[in-house]
Amino acid sequence: MNALQARGLSFGYNGKALLREIDFEIKDQSFVVLLGRNGSGKSTLLKLMAGILKPKSGRMEIYAEDINNMSYSRRAEFIGFLSQSHNTVFPYSVAEVVITGRAPYIFYSPSKKDVEKAVESMERVGIIHLRDKPYNQLSGGERQLVMIARVLAQEPRIILFDEPLTFLDIYNQMQFFSLIEQLLSNKLTIIMVIHDLMIASRLEADYMMLSEGKIAAYGGKEIFTRDNIRKVFNIECHLDEKTGEIDLIPLKPLRP
Amino acid sequence: MRKEIFFYILPLPVALFSIFLGPSESISPADVYNWLLTKITSDSKPTISDIQTIEAVILDIRLPRIIMAFLVGAALTTSGASLQAMIRNPLVDPYLLGLSSGAAFGAALAMTVLHYMPVQLSAFIFGLMAVCLTYFLAFRRGEISIISMILSGVIVSGVFTAFLTIVQFMTDPFRLQGIVYWIMGNLHNASWSGVESMIIPVMTGTLWLFIIKWRLNVISLGDLEAKTVGYNPTTLKLMILIPATLIAAASVAVAGIIGMVGLAVPHMIRMMIGYDNKKVIPVSFAFGGTFLLLVDNLSRTITQFEIPIGIFTTLIGGPFFIYLLKRLRHGYGD
Repeated sequence: MNALQARGLSFGYNGKALLREIDFEIKDQSFVVLLGRNGSGKSTLLKLMAGILKPKSGRMEIYAEDINNMSYSRRAEFIGFLSQSHNTVFPYSVAEVVITGRAPYIFYSPSKKDVEKAVESMERVGIIHLRDKPYNQLSGGERQLVMIARVLAQEPRIILFDEPLTFLDIYNQMQFFSLIEQLLSNKLTIIMVIHDLMIASRLEADYMMLSEGKIAAYGGKEIFTRDNIRKVFNIECHLDEKTGEIDLIPLKPLRP
Repeated sequence: MRKEIFFYILPLPVALFSIFLGPSESISPADVYNWLLTKITSDSKPTISDIQTIEAVILDIRLPRIIMAFLVGAALTTSGASLQAMIRNPLVDPYLLGLSSGAAFGAALAMTVLHYMPVQLSAFIFGLMAVCLTYFLAFRRGEISIISMILSGVIVSGVFTAFLTIVQFMTDPFRLQGIVYWIMGNLHNASWSGVESMIIPVMTGTLWLFIIKWRLNVISLGDLEAKTVGYNPTTLKLMILIPATLIAAASVAVAGIIGMVGLAVPHMIRMMIGYDNKKVIPVSFAFGGTFLLLVDNLSRTITQFEIPIGIFTTLIGGPFFIYLLKRLRHGYGD
């Protein structure tokens, strides 16, 4: 079964097309990394997958259901979304922020079970010691971890991450990927935007390369070819595939 | 939990205390005490001569005033707390969205041109009209953006203030004084009919906000963050805006423009009990009411003549707010 499926998906602002007639399928329980240059449409595509943006034409389906016909709360039971960066004006405690992830299951006020889920997800991300700290005083990386705990508390079947590594230090990056492994073994579907090609190429994932609002390549490691990298990223790179692992080293930008 | 209980109990002793206070020189606290005693012991024979006068002053003047002061304070504070969380801006108050200038214009109009219209009703209608106009202007592509809402609030306020100025300019000095007095905000006209006119909108609106209080935490994280956990931000904002406006408009209609309460009291509460709206909303009702009741006690006892309460709330609320701000541990982020 497909977790996500796009058919003739287009999107644009003020007459400027950002995504043109995209078709793809993402299998249930798979891990897909979106790659592409700035402005290639990665974040837009991720938002269309989450139903945050409405397509100009075409359909976005999750588990064979058109996402734009679903209610917001039903959508939230399927899909979790993590934006690039986040902050608040009011100094809510970390626990208060994390528990808002339970919103799809709460009508009036969080129950004991919701509190337990929030605590569990804070423990999983390793931020339980921050639970009473004011969220807006944390560092960018810590806030990122809080939002990860929030999306875990939400318990969706698909999680979309928009550049999750941006504020994380090297330790937290590695922790993050071992968390992703756990989530994948828990039968979740993970889709994320990553900018760092060296990190991306080392993951056990499928890759979707976007260029000028179209899918330039979609598949396993085999799409990491010098040609594709040139076409999509406009750089020259060194690729060493002898060991069976792709070892990609960016060398220099090509002429614009 | 313990901390909040104090705020829920506080209104009772303060209300009881307020019965003893008043500008009426003919009735001393001792008279009130004696009257209470006859009531409690249900002594049918009056022990003091003019018990009827005392009872009339207490039941028809002081009691409605106490209830009205409480309701106005509770409504303005709950409205302010909800709007600040929803708009994600600590500087917001119910008046920002055009409510006060709309209501002031409505009141002035009823005092000068539309004689057949009760001042309260006119203030209520024009207050709501101004806020509706602000919402309408803030709508874009089916969404309400925070910035455009604040900007439209400023514009709508400006326009209604200009209308008000025209009315003031064309009016004779005697009526002008009435308008100015109304704008300053006061509770000296408090009566049971005033209480009756506001109690239904205020109780309905606050109950509504009480039910959705936890969702204020979600919307105050941002539209996107509310969307991703299953709320339509536009619907949720309207669900907050409607009751918050209703209760503030009902209070402005009976009491005029009482400043600082909707802005400062929610912050005092957050600084004392934290930021979780699950607690902030009910405490806003309890403590907001108590606060205005205390200020009203001051405004009618401190001098020979009564000072409009709007001036007092600003003079007391301002410094207290600054004091709390200075000793605040966690600041607001940007």
